[in-house]
Amino acid sequence: MQTTESEIAISRMAIISRVRGFVQENFLYMMPDFVLADDDRLLEKGVVDSMGIAELISFIEAEFGVIAAEDEISEANFGSLDAIAQFVAGRLALALG
Amino acid sequence: MCGIAGIARESPTGVTANSLGRMAAAIRHRGPDGYGFYVGQKVGFAHVRLSIIDVAGGAQPLTNEDGQIVITYNGEVYNHPELRRELEERGHVFRTQTDTEVLVHGYEEWGVDVLHRLNGQFAFAIYDRARETVFVARDRFGVRPLFYAQRNGDFYFGSEIKAILACGEVDAAPDCRGLHEALTLWGSRPPRTPFSGIASLEPGTYGLWKDGALFLRQYYELDYPESSEEPADAIEQLDELMLRSVGMRMRADVPVGAYVSGGLDSSITASLAASSSPHTLRSFSITFDDPRFDESGFQREVADAVGSIHSVASIGPGTIAETFPKVLWHTETPLLRTAPVPMYHLARLTKEAGIKVVLTGEGADELFLGYDLFKEVSVRRFCQRRPNSPGRERLFDRLYPYLGQQGRGGEFWRKFFLEAGEPDDPLFSHMPRFLLSARMKEFYTPEFRNGLGGVDVIAELRASLPTRFFAWSSLNRAAYLEMTTLLSTYLLSAQGDRMAMAHGVEGRFPFLDHRLFEFAASLPTGSRLRGLREKEILRRWASRVLPPGIKRRGKQPYRAPDAPSFFASGSPDWIADQLGPDALRRVGIFSAPAVDGLLRRCRAGVATGFRENQAIVGILSTQLWHQQFIQSSHEIDPLPIANASVVLGDTVPALF
Repeated sequence: MQTTESEIAISRMAIISRVRGFVQENFLYMMPDFVLADDDRLLEKGVVDSMGIAELISFIEAEFGVIAAEDEISEANFGSLDAIAQFVAGRLALALG
Repeated sequence: MCGIAGIARESPTGVTANSLGRMAAAIRHRGPDGYGFYVGQKVGFAHVRLSIIDVAGGAQPLTNEDGQIVITYNGEVYNHPELRRELEERGHVFRTQTDTEVLVHGYEEWGVDVLHRLNGQFAFAIYDRARETVFVARDRFGVRPLFYAQRNGDFYFGSEIKAILACGEVDAAPDCRGLHEALTLWGSRPPRTPFSGIASLEPGTYGLWKDGALFLRQYYELDYPESSEEPADAIEQLDELMLRSVGMRMRADVPVGAYVSGGLDSSITASLAASSSPHTLRSFSITFDDPRFDESGFQREVADAVGSIHSVASIGPGTIAETFPKVLWHTETPLLRTAPVPMYHLARLTKEAGIKVVLTGEGADELFLGYDLFKEVSVRRFCQRRPNSPGRERLFDRLYPYLGQQGRGGEFWRKFFLEAGEPDDPLFSHMPRFLLSARMKEFYTPEFRNGLGGVDVIAELRASLPTRFFAWSSLNRAAYLEMTTLLSTYLLSAQGDRMAMAHGVEGRFPFLDHRLFEFAASLPTGSRLRGLREKEILRRWASRVLPPGIKRRGKQPYRAPDAPSFFASGSPDWIADQLGPDALRRVGIFSAPAVDGLLRRCRAGVATGFRENQAIVGILSTQLWHQQFIQSSHEIDPLPIANASVVLGDTVPALF
């Protein structure tokens, strides 16, 4: 079955929403007024520290059934909600395709 | 080592023995061997004594021959025999064998300039009756504490803040900025403390109080006149300085023991102590049930090699949570780490072994660039010179292998270090630490945050740096910041003096001899940190003096478990009580929803990062601090004047 562009777009939004929920509950619980944009750099904004990144990646792997190799754990793939969505959606598309 | 306290009045309305007795009672743990008072119309002094030198004849307060100069003194002046000879040659007549009396006659001879002649760790107050002044001073590096307050023209001082509060004339109130500093920089920056209107005398500073006004002056400044080349005889100089420093610090009329961490610095001090002690050395270590923190194998090797009788304080799973409230009573300040707790137990063990004095390796890392922070500065600068060099950035993995062991996200924490601070920021070296600890404020209530009025303690620190700082190399800047923002304000105080003196144990620090500091500060930084090899010259020298059998190993930071200590099964009730909504509301500093979220994560065992570990320790300690010092009464039964070893007064002739 072919995955359409719009299905991937929707799933990207769903990924962002689920990751955002996790980030808010676990890393931003002490800052309820914090507005996290999709393209905010998580490290630069102080949303996660090094331990937080490890925790976030474990969540993503369990939640979406994807595995990140050590050399894929980079700012390019996990630096922002957008980047995470792109990485996860890419993996899911690959799996589906 | 002892405890001191006192009151000076603007008008001669009298200082009661009752007030002084309460002040002394509050710090009796510092001096369980005796106490004494000077009870006068303008000035009253209290002293609690830990007998170390001239055990029979050293009671205080002490006066000169005609009773006009009165002293209450906490500490040790190690070069007192040399100063005594000099003073005797000038005609001064001594009646005791104490360093206290050397200070009295030294003040008579040289006035406040006596400070420049002292080699030691001290805090004291001298009442000059003829001049009607009180002269207070503190040693160069802030080993011994001295706090003071001024109210309505009167002056109050004490070795610990609780002594000032116990007199009944100074109320305890929080200083929001002082608390915020303690929660951002690990300790308030002197003179500020977490208590409103109660100050800490800065290290290397003296004060002269007269007629209701206090005049402060710094008599010693840290400087780093770095030379371009290591002197040809540097090792010989270091050898002489170290041996003299340890030799002086072995001067005591009671046996001197040693703390052994398993690292290089305390191996040196223990080894030199063992070889110069007339007794078989007693050594003491902390061991942890948790193998990630335990260094007992190395400690045992050191003890075997130096031939000491070794004892260990074992820190089990419940120890930190059980003892934390008591520790807070002694630190008098919120903490971001639990590391003082094991030091409290170590001092208790030492006391139980009948040892009152211990040598430790404190100060070596600051003088000889031992901490990882200094290597981190070098690596960060090295990486910034050629950005995006994976090979260079991998140096962080060598630097912090335990972070690497966590396995994932390496690029992120390397980036954290690389982006924490602009290269031309004077605080460049410390920005990673400050940026992490500054995140405590995320847990503040909006009211507390607003009350701070946008104060930026990091910017204030940056603005307070002395002009000469900007002429120093980046490593010497880092060393200065480490000396002034961590050594004196946390390591020597909350983790040092306060933990040892909780059990009447005196720490002595051979590396904090000012001549040794000045020697180290004048060396090229490459002699101290060569590449990623820390304490290079010290290692070169140590290979000559350390006994075989002490294995060489890399630097291991002293750490204790933080968040997990408080959430194991069977944790004491005080933890849940202090973090409940009522307790949080009473204190008003931390937001209940934020603490709820933190608690949820701590209980789930996922609060493993620096931010949440420091948050839980910071919140619990602040809550305890507030309960013990702000919410509670400071009433205490006075030490009765009838049992005092010494009672002097304006009309009582000098007693010797």
